[in-house]
Amino acid sequence: MWQNYFKVALRNIYRNKVYAAINIAGLALGVASCLLIFLYVQDELSYESHFSKADRIVRVAGEIEHEGQVNKFALSPPVLAPILLKDYPELERVTQLANARKQTIWYKNKSYNEENLLFADSSFFHVFDYEFLAGDPATALDEPRTIVVSEQLADKYFGGAEQAIGQVLKFSRDSYMVTGVFRDQGHSHIQANAFLSRSTLDTKRQDVITDDNHWFHMNRYTYVLLRDKSQIAPFQEKLKTFAATHVTPWIKENELAANMTFMLQPLPSIHFNTVYTDDLSPAGNINYIYIFAAVAVFLLLIASINYMNLATARSAKRAKEVGLRKVVGAYRSQIIGQFIGESLLITLLAVVLALALVQILIPTFNALTGKHFDANFFLQPEIALALFAIILFIGAIAGSYPAIFLSGFKPVDVLKSDKSPKGGSAALRRTLVVIQFMISLIMIIGTIVVFSQMQFLKNRDLGFNKERILTIDIPVGDSMLVKQLPTIKQELLSNPNIESVSNSADIPAESNSTILIFAEKNGATLQNAMDVMFVDYDFVDVMGIQVKEGRNYSRNYKTDLKGGLIINEAAAKKMGWKDPIGKRIQMADWDAKVIGVVKDFHVKSLHTKVAPLILALVPESSGYLLVRLKPQNMPATIGFIQEKWQAFDTKHPMEYFFMDEHFDKQYRAEEKMLTVFGYFAGLTIFIACLGLFGLASFTAEQRTKEIGIRKVLGSSTGSIVLLLSRDFALLVLIAIVLAIPVAWYGMDKWLQDFAYRTNLSWWIFALAGFAAMSIALLTVSFQAIRAALQDPVKAIRTQ
Amino acid sequence: MNKELLIETKQLQKKYVTDTVETTALAGVDLSITKGEFVAIMGPSGCGKSTLLNILGLLDSPSGGVFKFLGEDITNASERQRAKIRKQNLGFVFQSFNLIDELTVEENIGLPLAYLGVSKAETEKRVMEAMERMGIAHRRNHFPQQLSGGQQQRAAIARATVSNPSLILADEPTGNLDSVHGREVMALLTELNEAGTTVVMVTHSPSDAEYAHRIVNLFDGQIVTENLNVRKHVAELL
Ligand SMILES: Nc1ncnc2c1ncn2[C@@H]1O[C@H](COP(=O)(O)OP(=O)(O)OP(=O)(O)O)[C@@H](O)[C@H]1O
Ligand SMILES: [Mg+2]
Repeated sequence: MWQNYFKVALRNIYRNKVYAAINIAGLALGVASCLLIFLYVQDELSYESHFSKADRIVRVAGEIEHEGQVNKFALSPPVLAPILLKDYPELERVTQLANARKQTIWYKNKSYNEENLLFADSSFFHVFDYEFLAGDPATALDEPRTIVVSEQLADKYFGGAEQAIGQVLKFSRDSYMVTGVFRDQGHSHIQANAFLSRSTLDTKRQDVITDDNHWFHMNRYTYVLLRDKSQIAPFQEKLKTFAATHVTPWIKENELAANMTFMLQPLPSIHFNTVYTDDLSPAGNINYIYIFAAVAVFLLLIASINYMNLATARSAKRAKEVGLRKVVGAYRSQIIGQFIGESLLITLLAVVLALALVQILIPTFNALTGKHFDANFFLQPEIALALFAIILFIGAIAGSYPAIFLSGFKPVDVLKSDKSPKGGSAALRRTLVVIQFMISLIMIIGTIVVFSQMQFLKNRDLGFNKERILTIDIPVGDSMLVKQLPTIKQELLSNPNIESVSNSADIPAESNSTILIFAEKNGATLQNAMDVMFVDYDFVDVMGIQVKEGRNYSRNYKTDLKGGLIINEAAAKKMGWKDPIGKRIQMADWDAKVIGVVKDFHVKSLHTKVAPLILALVPESSGYLLVRLKPQNMPATIGFIQEKWQAFDTKHPMEYFFMDEHFDKQYRAEEKMLTVFGYFAGLTIFIACLGLFGLASFTAEQRTKEIGIRKVLGSSTGSIVLLLSRDFALLVLIAIVLAIPVAWYGMDKWLQDFAYRTNLSWWIFALAGFAAMSIALLTVSFQAIRAALQDPVKAIRTQ
Repeated sequence: MNKELLIETKQLQKKYVTDTVETTALAGVDLSITKGEFVAIMGPSGCGKSTLLNILGLLDSPSGGVFKFLGEDITNASERQRAKIRKQNLGFVFQSFNLIDELTVEENIGLPLAYLGVSKAETEKRVMEAMERMGIAHRRNHFPQQLSGGQQQRAAIARATVSNPSLILADEPTGNLDSVHGREVMALLTELNEAGTTVVMVTHSPSDAEYAHRIVNLFDGQIVTENLNVRKHVAELL
């Protein structure tokens, strides 16, 4: 019997090539996108899963409340770890990481700048069970000046894991002996190329920590391994009183006006952390996971709707077969089985095609998402299972409606020569088309809104001129180089194509320090935590920041050093100063008067409002060298800079970037999202139009006779095209009306994520509606024109 | 001859209710058909012939009266029961639309056996026999559109008989055929009847009715006369 069904199904596909192609192509595109999205989602959700104790590990994040404002840090102070371990027996281990960021490493006569370097406690590998290719994880970080490197690093420097052990890597000040090589097995928020032993820090503590007992020294990431995962919630509860016992007395003692609390982040959730700042790696956005999952379901739904609509619309063609099968004694259940089997077959063909498509698309998708999916992904059992689920899902969803509908035909009705049954419920079909176009429209509107927001962000006046600032990343800890900075600047300025040069510790789009300041107001003293950027005399000029009141730092005023400070408008506002110039601010070893107020400029991405900021003068700041270029002959100028710089810095390869690109990098996640989403939006409308094309050709076919008669009676081609297109246009119009409020609501919510955002102006909706309508009409009118142009006599005869 | 009752109806009624009108297609039909009979149903267009045949063939259910098949009251049988009786006992031949376009002649004929769950080898054998009997074996791999009307109708009869049904129902089987092919079809039905199969046939053609033992005349949903086909009986007696 199945053989019989199978033959009929194949012959039906063969005889109705256009419809079959629409169905299979639509489903294949839907399934292919679904697979890609599945890979992406699975990948995003796989963070930390390779650590066997992942479910028992939590991170302790510190929140500091100050003047009603809460700062949430992924960080916590070093002092926290020993106390936690002492106070809570349910903790098996407490381990801390400190970020060593980027350093230059020398080995023999090679040197490289290495990123993602972390200081780790000796207990680190007891908590996070990295796979070791060489060395003993239990003891690798016990001694000061030891280092555990990644497989890649070991290969790069020593040509293999075994060879690495016992070798010495030289950093700017210390040398570290390699005691272990680990393998990077999976995704983690801890992206490390090497772990350096934290005990090294104890031997030179003055450099890194000034006061070991300072609770507000937020420079560690504290991870706790609980004995049992059920203890996580009770532990969080207990932590509520922790600060009261340990931190509050210290705060009182030091007369600070702030409060501290500690929160737990379960390890698997850290990748999606968007609340706590200064995390080890950029967070994934869980909302994007939801959105993509929804997109996947939508795509499948739209393709399934095509199947349902075309199958029922064309049911008249199958009615006779159903009638005859029943006449010879088929049960209804057998006929349902046959049609579901048929849709499963179509789905199976679509899935095979989808797999081929994915093979082709994977490199592009990897480039878009920055992931590294393997083309053989479908050999994974999860994917195979997902594929199976997809086939069943579509087979059941898309197949069941036509199956139930078709199997309901009564032989006495369908076998009458003069009557053929109607092609299913036209109302249902219309509703489904409206749903398809609604979804497509929402996605198109979403794409346009995201795009215009991105443009808005890039084109917005940042308060400084981000163009043509070549920024050199000055290697850390090279005091000789720092001493020569004034000379380097002087030599660079000899080139007429270099406008100005500045050296600073901080630049926009990089995290800067937050420092406790004491400021005067009406004779009283205000305590405030404030963002500070350490800059030289030339920073304001090079950056093109506008001075609103007072003046910029000047070498002519000796008092500017530690005696003068520049603040931004937001800071003046926060202090409530009407006339900020001359107001007194104390911070660290500054006892200064405000000498200038600059116009607010964006240090962080436009997700956040401009924060109060102090530009503090440290002429020897040595984080970055900012070189403002003239637009003329830039490649030559860059070559000149490179040559000059390397003449002074012979040890490190020069690293530089342009400020505008660096700043816009902050929107990379959104941009990637935009591109991927844009493609999927295009796909939805394409698949929806495939269905529309099928329905239009069906309608044209059904109305061939009517069209013929109308033409004989003198109707113009135009009026017939209009007649055939009108119904579909109405459906798209309804979809537009329904989609706009939904899209408006959704995109408004998305925009709330940005402190500065574009307007949801009417043209966005008009454009999307117009686009959808045009595409739909184009699709439909193709069929309509074909129908309208055929020979009327022939049309009337052939019915 | 075997006098066992195959079909018995009492006051069989059928009403079609549409939005505006109620049509009475059958207004109390009492009909008994014994095994081995060849019955022709005649009457003017719209008098209810097809309706009656469809009810007798369990394709439709009556709105009133009693319908017994092989002594069993199946007036209110479920759809599934009807399908079961259909596939085990009945064969149908219609005026047109008899074959599934997507199946070859051979596959069309084998269809009832497939639903009966007959093995592949047995199916092949019986389909071959049926095709040979109807003289269409050389067309076995053709699709219905590739056959003439007469060939199609013979294929339909082959399909109706392949499962050895006890009753064949034919609704104007010669309606779309020329007289030569029509006679051919009638000869085939007669042959089947002589082999023991009961045949009930609707026809407009008096010459076709000549092949039957008994002619039931329907008018406005009621049986007006029932005539024994004397010539046939005489012929059989002789
Ligand atoms: N599905 C239906 N709905 C409404 N009325 C119907 C339906 N089927 C048949 N009828 C009506 O029932 C009556 C009997 O129809 P039936 O098809 O049995 O006639 P018939 O004797 O077979 O005619 P013909 O010789 O033209 O085939 C007719 O008046 C017809 O209009
Ligand atoms: Mg009839």
